[in-house]
Amino acid sequence: MNRRDALKKTAWLMGASVATPALLTQWQACQNVARPGWQPLILNNTQARTISALVDTILPATDTPGALDLNVDVFIDLVIKELMPAEAQENMLAEIDAFDARAQEALGTAFAEMDTDQRHEILTQEEEAAGTYNPNIWGGTIGEQQPVGFYREIKSLTLWGYFTSEHIGKEVLVYDPIPGEQIGCIPVSEVGNSWSL
Amino acid sequence: MPNFNIDAQQDITYDAIVIGSGISGGWAAKELCENGLKTLVLERGRIVEHVKDYPTMNNDPWDLDLRGAMKPEDQQKHHLAGRSGFVGENNKHFYANDLENPYTETKPFTWVRAHQMGGRSLLWGKQCYRWSDLDFEANLRDGHGVDWPIRYADLAPWYEHVEKFAGISGQALGLPHLPDSHFLPPMELNCVEQYAKEQIEQHFPGRYLTIGRVAHLTEPLNGRGKCQFRNRCDRGCPYGAYFSSNAVTLPAAHATGNLTIRPFSIAQSIVYDDSTGKATGVRVIDAETHDVIEYNARIIFCNASTLSTTRILLNSTSARFPNGLGNDSGELGHNLMDHTFKVGAMATVEGFEDQYYKGRRPNGIYIPRYVNLDDATRTDQFVRGFGYQGAASRANWSAGTNDPGFGADFKDGLFTPGPWSFFITGFGECLPYHDNQVTLDPNTLDAWGQPVLNLDCEFKENEKAINYQIREDAVEMLQRMGCTDIVSFDNEHVPGHGVHEMGTARMGRDPESSVLNGNNQVHAVQNVFVTDGACMTSSSCVNPSLTYMALTARAANYAVEALKSQTL
Repeated sequence: MNRRDALKKTAWLMGASVATPALLTQWQACQNVARPGWQPLILNNTQARTISALVDTILPATDTPGALDLNVDVFIDLVIKELMPAEAQENMLAEIDAFDARAQEALGTAFAEMDTDQRHEILTQEEEAAGTYNPNIWGGTIGEQQPVGFYREIKSLTLWGYFTSEHIGKEVLVYDPIPGEQIGCIPVSEVGNSWSL
Repeated sequence: MPNFNIDAQQDITYDAIVIGSGISGGWAAKELCENGLKTLVLERGRIVEHVKDYPTMNNDPWDLDLRGAMKPEDQQKHHLAGRSGFVGENNKHFYANDLENPYTETKPFTWVRAHQMGGRSLLWGKQCYRWSDLDFEANLRDGHGVDWPIRYADLAPWYEHVEKFAGISGQALGLPHLPDSHFLPPMELNCVEQYAKEQIEQHFPGRYLTIGRVAHLTEPLNGRGKCQFRNRCDRGCPYGAYFSSNAVTLPAAHATGNLTIRPFSIAQSIVYDDSTGKATGVRVIDAETHDVIEYNARIIFCNASTLSTTRILLNSTSARFPNGLGNDSGELGHNLMDHTFKVGAMATVEGFEDQYYKGRRPNGIYIPRYVNLDDATRTDQFVRGFGYQGAASRANWSAGTNDPGFGADFKDGLFTPGPWSFFITGFGECLPYHDNQVTLDPNTLDAWGQPVLNLDCEFKENEKAINYQIREDAVEMLQRMGCTDIVSFDNEHVPGHGVHEMGTARMGRDPESSVLNGNNQVHAVQNVFVTDGACMTSSSCVNPSLTYMALTARAANYAVEALKSQTL
């Protein structure tokens, strides 16, 4: 995944005509974010709650930590703030709002307030329309990248933040910073999980 | 580590000045210094000492807040080289500042530059292939461009000379059109690559698949360590396992006591003395103070990189050479070439689910040219040929971005290796066209007030026909391997993405149609040598850096002998 290219593709709203009711926004803004003590850098409280809920739904805790455990929502806030040029930032924030509005319209409640089944229903719909990223060879995107939907962008950021975290990189995936040798073919069973790096 | 002598002296005449310290400049410095010549290397950027100046060499993804991604301001600073997709947070300090070093494009061209000691030798792909007489005779045979003034036999001993010191790993194949190097042990193919080799060689007689030939040590050499398979080469290798000027040639040059390397020294022009018909030195702009300084030498080696060397020569005007030093032929700046790139196919390979690999191999596979080798392999669709690079690997978590799904099962499935994929991407030969050219653009100045280059270059019908065949053949090979989900591609990229820019001061037999002679001397100013990519008369389809090394060593040793015999 080429981050730079991926982050350029943030300008497309799915169902952009769905407006966020002002009253709803106001009410949600009064709520605390899901993560006590977290002061997001660029997300408002409502957006932060949505992002927290999204990363938790995409990569929940199992016998390994979930995305929330590894602060992936905090990471996404940082990425939007630090890596996206101003226009892309605005688009991304608007996309979060639009996503929430679609969820609200579909099931009558904010995404962050939904139970797991409801969240899955929303994400299943979103996934169908989200498009995919083109393959990448040696840093270059193959072919002309079409715009991808908000869900695909968030999923990409979520996986990126999660799998490049120190815990997953060192404790869950197989971490071998200095292999020292190259062997063309070995049984997977000798390694276990995927290589980390 | 060497504490390089950076104290250049204006009041003496050096035996040699070398402009640039990248792959070819490092070799020039080594050969000249080892032959006893007091040599001044002019480097436009900073000193980069091996290991000490590799600040990111051990970074893991989580060591950086943004996990290796570059902020918008850095993307802007590298907006030209960034088109290549190679620039990131961990290697950005080895790429030139594109804002300070603009160029203009009549037609789009991606020019990747590295302005520090070592130049692009810190960043290169390290693929090393000898050229053959299929390449050196190509122009003569089909009439494009001019004939090379040398043949494989002239260069073969110099290939061996540089290979033994640089360290090239690879597998001997005995192919006449891709001569074997002096090899260190090859890296290994993985299971799927081995399968691909068997299938391709079985179904397509005359086609071969081999491990890439690379300037990585697979055994220790001259105090350098062997590759540890971290694949973090472009941050600088703490083991010195891949060839760079910083780890290999410049320390050797320094060890002679004959090397001075002056950093922040932008070669503005070469000073020509009409009374002797020779160059007397180099006019330098200090990159930090903007002072203009002249340094003198008996011979001058131009190794600033293809287009920068030509820019210096175009800037070196005098009554005798109003259009640039040595430009009697009018060919200076012309016949720019690159390789076509990012055209090929990728696919899924079913099976092999219980197989994996160890080590992050900084190398892939190579399929040598198999078209237009002889009458039996002749095509009427194009002249010249192409080869492929590629690799097989297993998907990791990142495939989950596009895969449908979310939640517990989805997450747990991302920890184990995914399906195998295999891709091959072609490198096609580009013909030398007079109208693919660079010129000085007096209307645009760089941060030092110097006219920048205008680039006016495009791939034409022959290159497009090669790309068409690359794509067709790639799909056919993957089909015969039994691959699924085959995706073919031709990014129709602009020139420069191969980062194999060549030509613009070509070698030739005739001063009327070339800039350099068979010893890389400027025809009309014989104490000026050009041995970087600017000298290339044709482009072959194989990677050029090893040939720059060999040409440089050959020319440097010629220059030494000529100085000794006082014929220079």
